[in-house]
Amino acid sequence: MAPIRADSRTDLLRGTLDLLILQTLELQPLHGLGVAERIRQVTRGTFFVPAGSLFPALHRLEQQGWIRGEWAASDENRRIKAYGLTQAGRRQLVAEKRNWTRIVTAMTQVLESR
Amino acid sequence: MSFQAKFVSLWRTLFRRDRLEGELDDELQAYVDLLTRQKIRAGLAPEAARRSALVETGGVEQVKERVREARTGAWVDQVLRDVRIGLRMLRRAPAFASVAIFTLALGIGANTAIFSVVYGVLLRPAPFADLDRLVMVWETDRHSSTTREPASVPDYLDFSARATRFEKLAALAAGEVNLTPADGDPVRLVAMNVTHELLPMVGISPIVGRTFSEQEDVRRGPSVLLISESLWGRLLNRDPAIVGRTLRLDEKPYTVVGIVPDEADFGVLQVLSAAAYSRGFADRSEHTRVDVWTPLQPDPESLPRDTHPIFVLGRLARGASPGSAQEEMAAIAADLERTYASNDGRGVFVEPLTDVVFGPVRPALFVLLGAVGLVLLVASVNVTNLLLARGTTRFREVAIRTALGASAGRLARQFLVESLVLTLVAASAGMGLAFVGLKGLLAIAPADVPRLSLVSIDIRVLGATLGVSLLIGVVFGMLPTLQARRVDLQTALKSGGGLLLSAGPGRSRLRPALVIAELALAVILVVGAGLLIKSFWQLRQVDPGFRPAGVLKAEYQLPPGRYPADFAVWPNFKEIHAFTLALLHRAGALPGVESVAIAGNHPLDQGFTNSFVVVGREAEAKTWPEISVRRVTAGYFRTVGLGLVRGRLLQDSDATSAPAVLLVNEAAARLFFSGREPLGAQISFWGAARTIVGVVANERFHGLAAASPPGVYVPLAQAPSANGAGVLLVRTSRDPVLLSAPIRAAVRELDPGLAVFGVEPLEETVSRSVSERRFTMLLLGLFAALALVLAATGIHGVLSYAVAQRTREIGVRVALGARPWRVVRLVLMEGLVLAVAGLVIGLAGAFALTRLLASLLYGTTPTDPVTFIGVTLFLMVVALAATCIPARHATRVDPVVALRTE
Repeated sequence: MAPIRADSRTDLLRGTLDLLILQTLELQPLHGLGVAERIRQVTRGTFFVPAGSLFPALHRLEQQGWIRGEWAASDENRRIKAYGLTQAGRRQLVAEKRNWTRIVTAMTQVLESR
Repeated sequence: MSFQAKFVSLWRTLFRRDRLEGELDDELQAYVDLLTRQKIRAGLAPEAARRSALVETGGVEQVKERVREARTGAWVDQVLRDVRIGLRMLRRAPAFASVAIFTLALGIGANTAIFSVVYGVLLRPAPFADLDRLVMVWETDRHSSTTREPASVPDYLDFSARATRFEKLAALAAGEVNLTPADGDPVRLVAMNVTHELLPMVGISPIVGRTFSEQEDVRRGPSVLLISESLWGRLLNRDPAIVGRTLRLDEKPYTVVGIVPDEADFGVLQVLSAAAYSRGFADRSEHTRVDVWTPLQPDPESLPRDTHPIFVLGRLARGASPGSAQEEMAAIAADLERTYASNDGRGVFVEPLTDVVFGPVRPALFVLLGAVGLVLLVASVNVTNLLLARGTTRFREVAIRTALGASAGRLARQFLVESLVLTLVAASAGMGLAFVGLKGLLAIAPADVPRLSLVSIDIRVLGATLGVSLLIGVVFGMLPTLQARRVDLQTALKSGGGLLLSAGPGRSRLRPALVIAELALAVILVVGAGLLIKSFWQLRQVDPGFRPAGVLKAEYQLPPGRYPADFAVWPNFKEIHAFTLALLHRAGALPGVESVAIAGNHPLDQGFTNSFVVVGREAEAKTWPEISVRRVTAGYFRTVGLGLVRGRLLQDSDATSAPAVLLVNEAAARLFFSGREPLGAQISFWGAARTIVGVVANERFHGLAAASPPGVYVPLAQAPSANGAGVLLVRTSRDPVLLSAPIRAAVRELDPGLAVFGVEPLEETVSRSVSERRFTMLLLGLFAALALVLAATGIHGVLSYAVAQRTREIGVRVALGARPWRVVRLVLMEGLVLAVAGLVIGLAGAFALTRLLASLLYGTTPTDPVTFIGVTLFLMVVALAATCIPARHATRVDPVVALRTE
């Protein structure tokens, strides 16, 4: 199956990109490509986040105060910007997760009802 | 997000943009580099890895653009950026920008100026409570079929006592008095005699002091006085201590009790102007504001039921309509008619005050507002055309920016902001023009437009202008977006930019269509202006019956104290007659004077009318209209150039003690003596039978536009004015203005206590009598000219463009041996098609619209064929002229160059 572009242009996933990013950053800070790679690995290639969606989302989340970008040196000694969750971001993640679970439960109920 | 966080990020977005941009750049570079490295590790060659990484990223610039859009405050930031871009665009195309801004500024400025007048005069709320409940209560006369006559004092008292549909009734009468200041020459003032109810009823409260009390408003009541704010400022330096002090009016002391604000003008002048007679200062050529107010002190004994000097105003009771008041008043009037012989034929006409005051100016003002709106429309169409022409040259810009990741919305917003920048710059220039224009407008505006002194460009007018400008800006801003929609990226980028113009068939039709629309609008305006110009010309061609050239007019009023008018000895008013003779003598002796006369009214003053009978035919008189009574000295006819038709003129020998005589005008002779001999017949009024000794030509004393009403001329010596008013008329072989000072001096020598006013050449009086028409004509003419020039530039623009488009075709034709005139014909035909289409549509529009002008026309119809044909020819000439320049360009096309440019 072709990967699903986790793209804000895709109706299905609109609004879920933020959740994906927040969840991805829960364990450790990552730079932009790291976030995209991580999502691809975890979903075994199902979700692919293109740069055109990733960076606007990262900047938006940063402005909301949920993640914070720090400039750091990479393994290869490059200047990269790594994003980590803030306290507010953690709270937001909990809230969004709960919300998502409710949606999934509701959807499942609808789809499995006969 | 907290407010603080929002603020911080907004601040960063707006003011730390350079740093943000730099960081974004680094971040994305790092992303691409890391991705490339990953791909190299996966086994791709470095070059291929990099290309693949870039493709996967999807264009660094596009990503950046999307990040920018996602930022807080991005909107504000981008608008600011768009404003900067917009200004830069305007600077980069100065020719386009200046033409577009100037065109729009003209349209907006003219609209602002006219709207400020319309707003100030018609729309601005009056400072009176419930203005719509104020009505005029006119008396009517079935016999003369006049509908707006003043009332008699006893009638007014009866109305007041019996009417129930009115909360209140009040009355006023106009007068003129001399104020004798402590030092300096006497001044003539406009006086208003009002019942004590009037000012409170209208809703006027004094700035200082009080209005009149009921006790002051009785026969032989105290001499009290209210003064106007302007008089207070003019003569008394706004000294509040004036209240309680004494002023001498007509050499009698009056106590000042209060000061009336200037804005409390509820249209006194317009009320008087609407009346059939007792018009007071309405026919004076200058000074038309009320200076002083005195109590009317109604006295039914000295002013009986057959005298009609007062104007009745009323405030309708709550819930009463003018119609219901009319019904009630008609019943009361019918009752009075049954009771009193003097009220035979008399009825009542209840008319809303606003109709009386604004009715006469409303049509002209709305026509002007409509016309100036059309001008703005033409200006907008013109700028639209410019924008379209420019839009085509901007295809490449649009294409490049689209390729670089600008979203459609982003581009649309930029165009919108750009056009708003353009229109707002134009609007501010337009407001500047409006301020200047309004000054000029008010300088030439006729004095009888109500509330003109209150007209200004205030916050509401500016608001309206801004609103209209924004609307125009938004419409303009949407044009390039609509155009850009059709841009095909690939072709636009590949092509050189210019050639694409001919690609869209719809587009090439749009611009000519706009020019046709412009032309049609201009045609409507030019036809309207043409009709007004023709009307004005016709009016000036009218023979007024007198020759104003070379005549100087000066008016005066004799104070009753030293010039008593004792009706017991009528008409033998010794002092008044002595003054008249002495003034005639002095003025006649001045160098350069050919003849002099004194009259009760100048030739364009309606004066008054009187009921009368022809002796021996008394029964017939019942159904006759009243006759205008003109009091003149013997020299009048020679001085104003009024011709004798039959019999003899008045002579100096027709003195007070001589047999009573009079002249009738031709209108009276035709109306009352058709088939009979007027000469020798006797006309009786004011208790005396007077023999007709002559017939004179008709004099248009109701204004140039109105036919002469029937009138009689009686010797002043046999019918002196009871109120002491007089008009001196002097005919001279020199410039009449030169006589002003000597005339004033002559009067001063005779009586230093007299105020002389209205000193001006009679030609100026005539010219002022048509000033409202001239005003409307000038403005409409100006607007039409403006629209025409814009339309002509429109034609020129489109044809120049067409010629440029067809350079190659023309080159081929010339190369194949086409003669220059064939090329010219090609262009001319295009122009002709535009012109004819615009003309046809415009003429049809004019045909439908000019009826709105009907009330402003004289001696012509709204569909006057001469005007329509004249405008058609004129417009064809203008269109041809506008076509000529591009046509000449076409003949200069060098085939070699033309073919090579492809």
